[in-house]
Amino acid sequence: MAGLTGALAAARPRRLELQGLLCTVVLGAVALCVVFPLLLVALQSLQIAPPGQPARYGLDGWRAALGEPGLRSALVNTLTVTLARQLISLPLAVLIAWLLARTDLPARGWIEFAFWAAFFLPPFTVTLSWILLLDPEYGLLNTSIAALPFVGAGPFNIYSFWGIVWVHIVTGSLTVKVILLTPAFRNMNATFEEASRVAGAGTLRTALRITVPVMAPAILSVLLLGTMVSLQTFEVEQVLGLPFRFFVFSTTIYDLLVTRVPRYDAATALAVLILAAMLPLVFAQQRLTRGRRYTTVTGQFQSRVHALGRWRAPATLFVLALVVVVLGIPVVFALLGTFMKLFGFFHVPDPWTLANWQTVLGDELFLRSLHNTLVLSIGTAVVAILVHSLIAYIIVRTSYRGRRLLDFVSWLPFTVPGIILGLALLWLFLGVGFLRPLYGTTALLIVAGVIAGMPLGVQIIRSGLLQLGGELEEASRIAGATWWATYRRIILRLMAPTLLAVGMITFVGAARNIGNFALLTTSANRPLSILQLDYVAQRKFEEAVVVACIIMFVSLAGALLARLVGLRGGGLG
Amino acid sequence: MGAQPGVGETVLALDRVSKRFSAEAAAVDSVSLSIRRGEVFTLLGPSGCGKTTTLRLVAGLERPDAGEITLRDRVVASAARRLFVVPNQRNLGMVFQSYAVWPHMTVFENVAYPLRLRGLGKAAVRDRVARVLDLVGLGGLEARPGTLLSGGQMQRLALCRALVYEPDLLLLDEPFSNLDAKLREQMRMEVKLLQRRLGITVLFVTHDQVEALSLSDRIAVMHGGRVEQVGTPRALYERPASAFVRDFLGQTVILSGRVATPASDEATGCVTVAMNGALAGCSLTGRNASPAALAPGSAATVAIRPEDIRVERDDAAPREAHHLLGTIDALSFVGDRYEARVSLGGEHGIVLLLTRAREWREGDRVRLGFPPELVSVWPA
Repeated sequence: MAGLTGALAAARPRRLELQGLLCTVVLGAVALCVVFPLLLVALQSLQIAPPGQPARYGLDGWRAALGEPGLRSALVNTLTVTLARQLISLPLAVLIAWLLARTDLPARGWIEFAFWAAFFLPPFTVTLSWILLLDPEYGLLNTSIAALPFVGAGPFNIYSFWGIVWVHIVTGSLTVKVILLTPAFRNMNATFEEASRVAGAGTLRTALRITVPVMAPAILSVLLLGTMVSLQTFEVEQVLGLPFRFFVFSTTIYDLLVTRVPRYDAATALAVLILAAMLPLVFAQQRLTRGRRYTTVTGQFQSRVHALGRWRAPATLFVLALVVVVLGIPVVFALLGTFMKLFGFFHVPDPWTLANWQTVLGDELFLRSLHNTLVLSIGTAVVAILVHSLIAYIIVRTSYRGRRLLDFVSWLPFTVPGIILGLALLWLFLGVGFLRPLYGTTALLIVAGVIAGMPLGVQIIRSGLLQLGGELEEASRIAGATWWATYRRIILRLMAPTLLAVGMITFVGAARNIGNFALLTTSANRPLSILQLDYVAQRKFEEAVVVACIIMFVSLAGALLARLVGLRGGGLG
Repeated sequence: MGAQPGVGETVLALDRVSKRFSAEAAAVDSVSLSIRRGEVFTLLGPSGCGKTTTLRLVAGLERPDAGEITLRDRVVASAARRLFVVPNQRNLGMVFQSYAVWPHMTVFENVAYPLRLRGLGKAAVRDRVARVLDLVGLGGLEARPGTLLSGGQMQRLALCRALVYEPDLLLLDEPFSNLDAKLREQMRMEVKLLQRRLGITVLFVTHDQVEALSLSDRIAVMHGGRVEQVGTPRALYERPASAFVRDFLGQTVILSGRVATPASDEATGCVTVAMNGALAGCSLTGRNASPAALAPGSAATVAIRPEDIRVERDDAAPREAHHLLGTIDALSFVGDRYEARVSLGGEHGIVLLLTRAREWREGDRVRLGFPPELVSVWPA
C-alpha cells in the first residue's frame, strides 16, 4: 500500500509538470514566431552594413527614416490616410449598425449578411473594380459624366489621396466596423432606450443621447481596432499610389526592399517606428475591452425595435445604396473586367472577349500559383485549427502561469502590419540557420498564414470555449472520462462548427493575403494573391483581374460556408 | 441498506483543507469535515463563502494547497504528500448548477456515457439506463436530444447521469437554483425520496437555507472560507453557535441592552438583560449563547426567532417579566397569515408573523412574550 501511494505521489506531479511543459513549448513556439522576429527587425534597424558584408552597427537607418523627405512623407501619408478613413467610416458605421440592430429596417438580416460578405472581398479585387469606374480618363463614371453637356472632363481621379481613402472605406473600414458594431448594438439592454422613450424622447434623440453614449466603449474599441486594421493594408496603396508616387509606410518598406540594393536598415527603422506608434493603441484597446469582451448575452431578447416611420424608405434606400457600393459594384465590375479586351476601356468597338480567361487558365504560371495557393490555404487552415485551438484551450481552460502572456502574444499579430510581419519572418528564416532551408517553400507561407490568422482564430475559438462553459467538460471528467476522452467526445464534438468556421476563415485569409506574403515569396512558392500583384506591376490588368476574380469567389464561398456552419459576426468581437 | 442515516462509516473526510486563488484571502481555509455513509450533508453559506470551492476540491476539479481529502479509505488529495487523484478516478457523481447536459447527445447517450466509459456491454448499458430513467420518470424520452428538455427534466437527467454508475458519493452543486419556486420544492422532495430509497451519500451545496434545512441530515454553515458550525438542521436553528449562523439561518429579532446583576441563575445558565433606549426599564431573560460568562454591566444583545414571540392583545395587563409592549405600525395580509411591523417603545421596529385566527388592526397595542427558554443572550 505504502509503495503504491509512493508511486502515485511520484507520478502525479510529473503529469502536472508535463502539462506545464507542453504549455511552455506552445508559448515558446508562438513567441519564436511572433516576438522574436520583431526583435530581430528592431536589431536590424541598427545594422548598417550592406547585405553580404560583416555587420556594422550605427544609426544611419534611423537617420534615413527620420531625415529623408521620402520616408517622412510616407509616415505623414500613413497617418492622414488612416485619419481620413476613420473619420468618415466611423459615423457611417455607427448609423448603419444602429439601423440594422435597433430599427425596423426591412430585410435587416440580409443586409447584415451583405456587409459580412463584403468584408470578405479581397481589397485588391475591389481596387481593380473601382479603377474601372473612377480611372481619370477611362473610368465609366467619369466618361458618363463627361458625356453630359457643359462638363469638360470627369471629376473623379482614383489615383489620388481621396481615391485611396475612398477605396479603403469601401473595402474594409466600413464593413469591419458594421459587422463588429451591429451585434454589439443588438445585445444592448433595450430598457435603456425604452426608459428614454417613456421619458418623452423621440427616436433620434434617444439614439443620440442614450444609445450611442451607452455604446461608447464598444464604438471606441471598434475605432481602435479599425485604426490598427487600416495600418495593415498594403495592396491598395501599392496599386493606386504608385502611379502618382504616393507612398505610405508599407509600400515604402516594400519599395526599399524590392530594389537592387535593398535598404534593410531604413526599412526596418521605419517598421520599428510604426510598431512604436501602434503600442498606445494596443494598450488602449486592451484596457477598454478587458473583462467586457466575453460578457455573454442573457436570454432576454428585446423584441421591440424603433419604428422608422416616414424615414423607413429613405433609410432603406441609403443602406441599400451602400450595399451596392461595398458589395454589388466590386463583384459586378471585377467580373466585367475579366471579359474586357483592354482593361477599363468600355467604348472601344466590341470591348468584350473570353481571351483573358483562356490566357490565364492556360498559363503555366497560373496553374503553378493555383496549386501553391491550394496547398497553402488548406495547409494553413489545418495547421491553424490545431494551433489556434490549442492556444485558446490553454488560455481558457488551464491554470498555466503564462497564459495571459500567451493571450497577449497570440493577439500581437493583429497589431503588426502584414508587411512588417512578413519582413520579420523573412529575417527569422534567413537569419536562423536551421530554418533557412524553409525559405522559398510553401511551408514558410503557411507559418505566415497561421500567424496572420492567429488573433482572429484564437479569439473565435476562445469565445466558443467560454460559451461552452467548463461544466460540460467537468461533468465528463467526473463521469469517469480521462482528459483525452473528454477532449474527443465532448469538446471536439461541441466545438466542431466553430473550428470549421475558423478553418474556413483562415483558408480565405491565406488565399487572399498579400501583405504578409509579399516579401516571403519566390517564383517557387508564389501563390495567386502575389501573382495578381505581379501582373499589375507588369501592367497586365486583364490577367490580374481574372486572378483577382477567382480569389474573390473563393473568398465569398468561404464566407458563406463559415456563416452556414454557424459563425456569427459577434464571434469576431 | 436501511442503515440509520448519519451513523455508518465515514465516506468522505476533509482534514484541514485549504485553497487560495489569490494572495489576499483563502477561498477555503483549513476546513475539516467528515461525512458518513447514507447521510445528506450540506454546505450552506452566502456566495463567496467557499462552499462551492470545497465541493470542487472534493470532486478533484481543484487541487488543495494544504490538507488532505480521503474518500472511503483512499487518500485522493494530499498537499503534503503531493498526491492528487484526477476526477475521473474518484468514482463520484455530480450534478452541476447548469446541469451540464451534453447538447450533442440524446437523453440515452447522456446517461450511457459514464457506463460506456466503464466498459459495460451494450445490453447492460441499455438495461441500467432504462432503470435509472424510470426511477425519475424520464422513461420513454431516451431518444430526445438533451437540449429539448424542460428545466426539471434536465435536472432529472443530470441526476440520472450522476447516479447510474452508483458512485460512492453524490455531489450536488446548487442543483435547484435554476428552477422556478414551485418546481424547486417538488424536486427537493423528489431528491430526498430518491436519496432515502437508494441510501446514497450526498454532499450538497446551497445558499438557500430552506433547501438546506429541509433536505439535510447535517449542515455545515460556512463563512469566509471557514466552517462556522456543523450540526443537524434543528440544532443549528435552535442553538446557533455564532451570531453569523444565527442571522444566516431564519429570521431573528435582536434587541440590545446591558447584562443586569450577576448572571442571575447559575443553575439554568440564564442571564437577564436590561434593555436600552426607549425600552429602558424593561428586562428580558435568556440563556447565555456564548461559551464565556457575561460580566454584569457589559453590553449584550438579546435574540429570539420571531415565531417564538408570543403575541397577545394588550388588555392593559400589568407589566410582567419577560414581556414587552408594542404597537402594530403596519399590517399586511399575506394569505396564510398576517405580517406585522411592531414598534417597541416607539423606537425599534420588528417584523412578526401573526395568525389569521384573530382579527388585527393597525394601531393595536400588543403584548409580546419572550419565553426565557427560547431567548438567547449574546455579547455585543
